[in-house]
Amino acid sequence: MQDIVKTIQGVPLNHYILLSAIIFSIGVTGVLIRRNAIVIFMSVELMLNAVNLLLTAFSAFSNDPAGQVFVFFIMALAAAEVAVGLAIIVMIYRNTNTIDINVMNRLKW
Amino acid sequence: MNALITISVLAVLVLYLGLYKANKALLPVTLLGLAVALFFTINHWNVFTGPTFNDMMSYDNFAVAFSGITITSTMLILLLSKGYFEKISDHVAEYYSIILFSLAGILVMVSYHNMTMLFIGIEIMSVSLYILAGIRKQDFASNEAALKYFLMGAFSTGFLLFGVALIYGAAHSFDLEAIKMHLETNLQTGQAISPLFYTGVVLMAVGMAFKVGAAPFHFWTPDVYEGSPSLITAFMSTVVKTAGFAAFLRLFATCFYPLHDFWMPVILVITIITLFAGNITALYQNNFKRMLAWSSISHAGYMLFAIVSLGSEASYGVFVYAIAYSAASIIAFAGLVLMQANTGSDSFDSFNGLGRKNPFLAFTLTVAMLSLAGIPLTAGFIGKFIMFSNALSSMHTWLVVLAVINAVISIFYYFRVIVAMYFKDAERAELEIPLNFKVVLAISVVATILIGIWPAFLPNVI
Amino acid sequence: MEAQSTAINYLPIIFQILVALGFAVGTMAVTHMIGPKRKTSDKLTPFEAGIKVVGNARQPFSVKYFLVAILFVLFDVEVIFMYPWAVNFRELGSTGMIEMFIFMGTLLLGFFYIIKKKALDWD
Repeated sequence: MQDIVKTIQGVPLNHYILLSAIIFSIGVTGVLIRRNAIVIFMSVELMLNAVNLLLTAFSAFSNDPAGQVFVFFIMALAAAEVAVGLAIIVMIYRNTNTIDINVMNRLKW
Repeated sequence: MNALITISVLAVLVLYLGLYKANKALLPVTLLGLAVALFFTINHWNVFTGPTFNDMMSYDNFAVAFSGITITSTMLILLLSKGYFEKISDHVAEYYSIILFSLAGILVMVSYHNMTMLFIGIEIMSVSLYILAGIRKQDFASNEAALKYFLMGAFSTGFLLFGVALIYGAAHSFDLEAIKMHLETNLQTGQAISPLFYTGVVLMAVGMAFKVGAAPFHFWTPDVYEGSPSLITAFMSTVVKTAGFAAFLRLFATCFYPLHDFWMPVILVITIITLFAGNITALYQNNFKRMLAWSSISHAGYMLFAIVSLGSEASYGVFVYAIAYSAASIIAFAGLVLMQANTGSDSFDSFNGLGRKNPFLAFTLTVAMLSLAGIPLTAGFIGKFIMFSNALSSMHTWLVVLAVINAVISIFYYFRVIVAMYFKDAERAELEIPLNFKVVLAISVVATILIGIWPAFLPNVI
Repeated sequence: MEAQSTAINYLPIIFQILVALGFAVGTMAVTHMIGPKRKTSDKLTPFEAGIKVVGNARQPFSVKYFLVAILFVLFDVEVIFMYPWAVNFRELGSTGMIEMFIFMGTLLLGFFYIIKKKALDWD
């Protein structure tokens, strides 16, 4: 365990922050510009994984396990979200035969 | 704590009752269980000694007050649901148990003392709501509402979590008290607070604004509220909104308070945009349900006042406002459900001539609209009054001026309903109002008027 | 390992990536260039064990086990809560044991519900 922490600490913290920020931004961009519900969903997962990476890095650098415990919770709840989200997407696919979110425009603001 | 356990066990119990075809028992068991949970909640009042469960939860008076409102509102909404869910779907037990699971998440949200629990509470609540929004599987609007709510909810969770991660990086803790201590010691000793922390606060504000439907992150709200089944919309716009604000307030009022000067302008801008976006768009709606959705956005703006000004009265203000808003919304949605069941329409025109045929329903709807508009002698006025005076005492004079202008705008669209009911004639049959609707309407109207006339009736519990 | 590694320490990795990419791209390009090309209609159809190809391969098909897959994802992830418990089994003692059993019991309740709802029946 200590070896892993040392290995993680081998890279400066700023690099982790930058990497996570980049992955997070890719996720946000994906959500905003893609029109396929599954791809948007994958982008959201990318955002969550950027958070996981960041939490793990912070946790290793401050020698505090709480961050890693938080990662467990994010994983478990993301799985619950995946289950519900995929069910919703499948339900829509059955009714409309498409998962393009542009057909989702019956309700207008 | 007992309330939380009661509700979680109750949800599983109801699920299994449905499995063994005891559909008659569902509603009574649910209501009974919620009454027990409410009793446990009230029992917790003023016995707070400190955070419990390894400092994860803190059942202080704030938590007790907001648990009380949310449990009571849920009971009222479930009372309306007799015979409603059976028409929509075969899986009635799942309805009740998902609402209860969502309520369990809400109880966590109002009593967290650690960012982990905030996240878990929000997720338990949101995941249940995604299902509830899309529970009419064949209905296209319901599908669309579910997908939009799901994508937006997951997206905002991402922002919230990134904020949490950055704050953890700066303060090395998820504990609210520890984060506050970190801020205070840094400010006192003159050490610079890490820029990570500032970014984290902004990201968390964005995430929470998404969750409570504040502009400019409100665009999902009207669609989701319109597409979901009406009673679910009632649940979302009262209970969920109250819980969201309780969580928002607890985070910013206790934890980030030392950085007030930094985040206050951000929230201030959000508040003003929310007020104008909600009220002006609501003016142009012809659909009652959609108007309620936009008005709920504008009420989110009024509730944000508490977070902007953060006086000693902030929690009490949100408490009163949430009660007033919940009671009035429940009346409005009860009227909407009755109207949809009888005429199949939810436009303003379907209310024409209601005053002559159904004087009781028309009267309760009038009280609700007056309360939402903030006319004196109703609870809504007291709520707005506390909010505005609180903002004035913290020198936000022009914010209050803007808010008063908005309150005047809101009168126009709320009065359209009253005008339709009393001054427009239409041939219509008398609506039959079931007993459970009468009870809920009566309770809500009495609460609205009682708080309006005699605010001291509501003790300052926080 | 040294306390901090700098960007220069990653130079070998970059070289390795360059070589790997270069090899893949290079061999593909070279085979395209030097290989003989004979384009007949028989050569361009996908080989399907000698049977004539019918329809488009890119069409969606019904996934009977969709529900099973989703349920698998749900129950699968809960295992991560068991690793920390297993590692600290002795320290947590009987309290940890009881708490874990409550957790497992809750999961089992969900599992019984799924079985009762016949969500695991494939047909």
